[in-house]
Amino acid sequence: MPKVTVDGQEIEVPNGATVLQACELAGKEIPRFCYHERLSIAGNCRMCLVEVKPGPPKPQASCALPATEGQEIRTDSEMVKKAREGVMEFLLINHPLDCPICDQGGECDLQDQAMAYGRGASRYHENKRAVTEKYMGPLIKTWMTRCIHCTRCVRFSEEIAGVDEIGALYRGEDMQITTYLEHAAKHELSANVIDLCPVGALTSRPYAFEARPWELSKTWGIDVSDAMGTNIRIDARMREVLRVLPRNNDDVNEEWISDKARWQVDGLTRRRLDKVWIRRGGKLEAASWDEAFAVIAGANAGSSVAAIAGDLLDCETMFAAKKLLGALGSTLIESRQTGMDYPVDNLAAVNFNSTFAGIEEADAILIVGSHIRWEAPLVNVRLRKAIKRGAKVFVVGPHWETTYPAEFLGDDAAVLGDLPSHVADAMSQAERPAIIVGGAGLAAGALDTALSLAGKWNLVRDGWNGFNVLHMAAARMGALMLGFAQKGGLRDLADAKPKVLLSLGADEVNYQQFAGSLKVYIGHHGDKGAHAADVILPASAYTEKAGTYVNTEGRVQMSDKAVFAPGDAREDWTILRALADVFGVSVGFDSFDELRAAMIAEVPALGQEGLASYGALPQPGTGTPKGKIAYPIKDFYLTNPIARASLVMQRCSAELLHGDADFAEAAE
Amino acid sequence: MGILSKIFTWWDGATVGTSLFSALNGEHVGTDGLGNQYFRAKKGGRGTAEGLERRWVIYNGANDASRVPAEWHGWLHHTYDELPESHLPPPKIWETDYTPNATGTAGAYRPQGALERGGKRAGATGDYEAWTPDA
Repeated sequence: MPKVTVDGQEIEVPNGATVLQACELAGKEIPRFCYHERLSIAGNCRMCLVEVKPGPPKPQASCALPATEGQEIRTDSEMVKKAREGVMEFLLINHPLDCPICDQGGECDLQDQAMAYGRGASRYHENKRAVTEKYMGPLIKTWMTRCIHCTRCVRFSEEIAGVDEIGALYRGEDMQITTYLEHAAKHELSANVIDLCPVGALTSRPYAFEARPWELSKTWGIDVSDAMGTNIRIDARMREVLRVLPRNNDDVNEEWISDKARWQVDGLTRRRLDKVWIRRGGKLEAASWDEAFAVIAGANAGSSVAAIAGDLLDCETMFAAKKLLGALGSTLIESRQTGMDYPVDNLAAVNFNSTFAGIEEADAILIVGSHIRWEAPLVNVRLRKAIKRGAKVFVVGPHWETTYPAEFLGDDAAVLGDLPSHVADAMSQAERPAIIVGGAGLAAGALDTALSLAGKWNLVRDGWNGFNVLHMAAARMGALMLGFAQKGGLRDLADAKPKVLLSLGADEVNYQQFAGSLKVYIGHHGDKGAHAADVILPASAYTEKAGTYVNTEGRVQMSDKAVFAPGDAREDWTILRALADVFGVSVGFDSFDELRAAMIAEVPALGQEGLASYGALPQPGTGTPKGKIAYPIKDFYLTNPIARASLVMQRCSAELLHGDADFAEAAE
Repeated sequence: MGILSKIFTWWDGATVGTSLFSALNGEHVGTDGLGNQYFRAKKGGRGTAEGLERRWVIYNGANDASRVPAEWHGWLHHTYDELPESHLPPPKIWETDYTPNATGTAGAYRPQGALERGGKRAGATGDYEAWTPDA
């Protein structure tokens, strides 16, 4: 623990800290462009110069200088001020003066730091450098003349994303940042470079020239595009969500966000359900709420009502549905739309127990039926960190492009019962072994075998729980905590032949099983569920209602309402409350607060933000895995009704996954 | 204009009293392109409260101040004393004819998106595309 003096203030800093970190600990602000906490140190922007004694009598780059015992650091001397002014002047030599037409304006590091640390006026009269335009795909808009060569984007692609997509050509003043041969950046985290770029060189293409940061209202939310529970900030102007940015949460998403989470919001303005529809004579016709309620009441369902929860739902909606069905005397509720029927008596067996931050510590990882890059791109980032620390990764399932060395053991799930000896040895000898079972693994019936392997390899030990199940639906863990599951899965619902089926945004269900039921779709997008429905009641998307979400590691998080739902659409719980009156039963809540209080009273864990506790792993059952593993996600960009409605996601899918260049040109 | 409407209405042209006053006390100095007639008080007649020469217009049609063209407006409001014909340079060929304010009439300007112009406007924040079963 070296002791250093920063501007006369003596502080103790952790071993291995840099001078820049020491200054931050002392509460001094150090301007910087290239330095980023989560990336390696480059030391090439020179903005963080400070005066350090002992050392050469010149300013030093604090980001790349280790703090050592007895250093005297000054951040407020004349030398430092002049050094910063000089560096800023050099940076501005080749930076265009186009702040008024630049999308970064208002949230630009260069703008802010030029104001705070730059000279008052320019002394430069020569021509500025210009750089030819680059193409980086449908999400990243480039304006490379503005680039100040901090190389954050290059380091992000290499270190975090793990793909060599972005790099630098030429040197010195002629250096240019580009993708290899100007191909689109294809990684599913590629758009994070937009946030990283300290200037306006990389900006958001779908959001180009849409708004200024100061005219947006910012709401804290939770993303629903996967089961990660990514912390997001929803930026809206009036009734429209214009963009989504990540919020820092070291436990969940660190500072990153997947491209789908960032840009599916474009789908919130398309294919919206904004009025009530009733099927009359085989054709959907626009109707009023009263007519729809009359049709539902006319079904005389009694207690023969079932509910399916979709993948994007908040806990409150599901709880309201459960209460409604409970009041009617029905327990037919299910959330696993594709018909999976893994046991849910003990949620520890279907939870990501290592936690996302914890999986970084694992040193041997067996992935069973999960295309992690597509199912949870940010877990993939964590796995990459584990591999960098020396972890070994084995995958059961068809090959996918990993961003780290991994050994594929074949597509057949049966290989789990008969693992090659080097895999078994690696897992049993590891200090912190981990198994990750994905959706495809669950579908292939691998859960029981994985649990018995967990017992055999002693996955749960002091301070370590290596048994993980990775879900893909944002609503899954919340639904399971609320008991939205039947023993036989969706089949139990179909066998019961309910007179009325409430579909809460369920778009992945095969509705032919419910041919005899009055299908009431309560959702926000016209997708598969709406086409199959007999009555459509328009509800709210995740940005349009407050709610509680539980991510796949069992972390309870709450989201706020950013905008209002369009047209006649209502918040989901109000629709369910109105249905209670239609059915003539009491559900015991009249406001959102009452609903949330009732939910917390029944499932106390949902009232506490943070990790829920599910206890110890259960004893494994006797099921054996069989059959080929097939990953459920066929197209990363089009996994939910919002994303499928989004033009940006459609374009990403066509251009990045299917190589359809015409689509790219048509959309220009 | 019939004699009856001349007696009983006031919104088109001059009332009987004003016509009589103009004939007795006014000197007709000119007529503009719209047919509006311009008068000033006879020599020695009563001036305005500010002590200026009294000048007035009798509209050929609706009593709407915006129907006075710019050149006569200047004369009416004592911006200059000479009559427009003699004082102002002849109009250039590229000058369009003066048009009165059309607000409140069928010829009024309607912005893009107004129902009178078809109701089609450019996209704006908050627009969304509603789903229909045919989609």
